[in-house]
This record gives sequence, C-alpha cells and structure tokens, in this order.
Amino acid sequence: MDLLTILGNVELLDGVSPYELESIASMCQERTYQSGDVITTQGDPGDELFVICTGFVEVLRSGTSPESSPKTVVNLGQGQIFGEMALVDHGLRSATVRAISEKTVVQVIHRDDFERLCDKNHHLGYIVMRNIAADLSFKLRHQLLVGQ
Amino acid sequence: MPENYKISFVITDGDHPGAILNTDHRPEIGDRITLGKGEFTVLEVIDLIPARGDFNYLHVSLKMAEI
Repeated sequence: MDLLTILGNVELLDGVSPYELESIASMCQERTYQSGDVITTQGDPGDELFVICTGFVEVLRSGTSPESSPKTVVNLGQGQIFGEMALVDHGLRSATVRAISEKTVVQVIHRDDFERLCDKNHHLGYIVMRNIAADLSFKLRHQLLVGQ
Repeated sequence: MPENYKISFVITDGDHPGAILNTDHRPEIGDRITLGKGEFTVLEVIDLIPARGDFNYLHVSLKMAEI
C-alpha cells in the first residue's frame, strides 16, 4: 500500500485535502522496529509524532517512585498515533513505547516540520490539531472504559 | 457510510490493558479477534461516540477465546 493511501486512512489526517495530504507525506520518515525495540522512553525529551502503519506497540508507564516497575496501559495498532503529547506541549515523553509485533512500521513527523506546515496553512493546522484533540479524547475514553 | 472503524478494545477477563486500532469492518458479537499474541471473542459492540468524517468510533468488549 502506498504512503498516501496509508495516511488517508489515519484519523489524524481525516478531513485534509489531497494536496495537503501530499504535503504531510513529504515530511514523513519511515522507520521499522522489531519486537522489543523501544521507540520512545518515558522522561526523555521528544520532538516526533509517530503514525503506526503496521504492527502493534505497547505503551508503558512507570510510577513516580524509582522502584516502581513499568505497567502496560494500552496497546496501539494500525492507524494510531503516539508521541502527540510532546509534539503539542513540548514536555518530556509521558510514556515508554515499545514494539510488540515482529515488524512494526511507523511514519515519523518532526515537530519543526509539522509546526512550519501548520503556520503556513492554517486550515491544515486546524484540522490536524482538532484530530489530535479527538484522539486524546478517545484515548481518555478508552482508559475510563478499562478502569470500569 | 464511513468505512474506517476506530475501536477501543477492552478485555473483560485477565489483566490485558486493552488496545486501540483501526479496522475496515465492524466486528460482530461472537467474532474472534487477534490482538498481538492473544486471541479473543467479541462480547459486545457499542458506538462510543457519533461517527465523524470517514470514521466510526466503537467500544468492543472481549473475553479470552477458549482454545
């Protein structure tokens, strides 16, 4: 499947025009991970957003005490994004993300490229920021359902 | 009709943290679903929030599949 088709089925980019989709695709960098590879580490600085094209990752959180062991809070599969919090608020990574399938392929978008594009095209910026907000809301709803 | 389904999978037994992923079809009760290395049976399918754009948003409850 080509990159434009993959990105066209990602909620992050739902509502953008074909031309805008091409602009996003041009800034994407593909990376492939094997099972067990760590993609982001909780507490590290981060300036990249990840879109999962194939495979699965697990999102692990450690508590505030140094002795606490990391706990998996959710698994994310095809079409999901992670790394969006650090992209939006410039804070440290809130979780460790690790590949758990034999082959996990992601598209990576750098914050500087992303912000430059949003500054240049406010319509695209609005759509993508709305979709990031909707994704965060969905993840929160998922956590509430898991906790019931 | 949107053809993308963004699904919150919640496992009702065990300590699996659940998963979020996209599919191109709506799961049905009784379907078998593979999440990572685990296999599960669909217990319940609910529209979590209204569809928007090309996406439907579902909550699906699962239990571990009997082997």
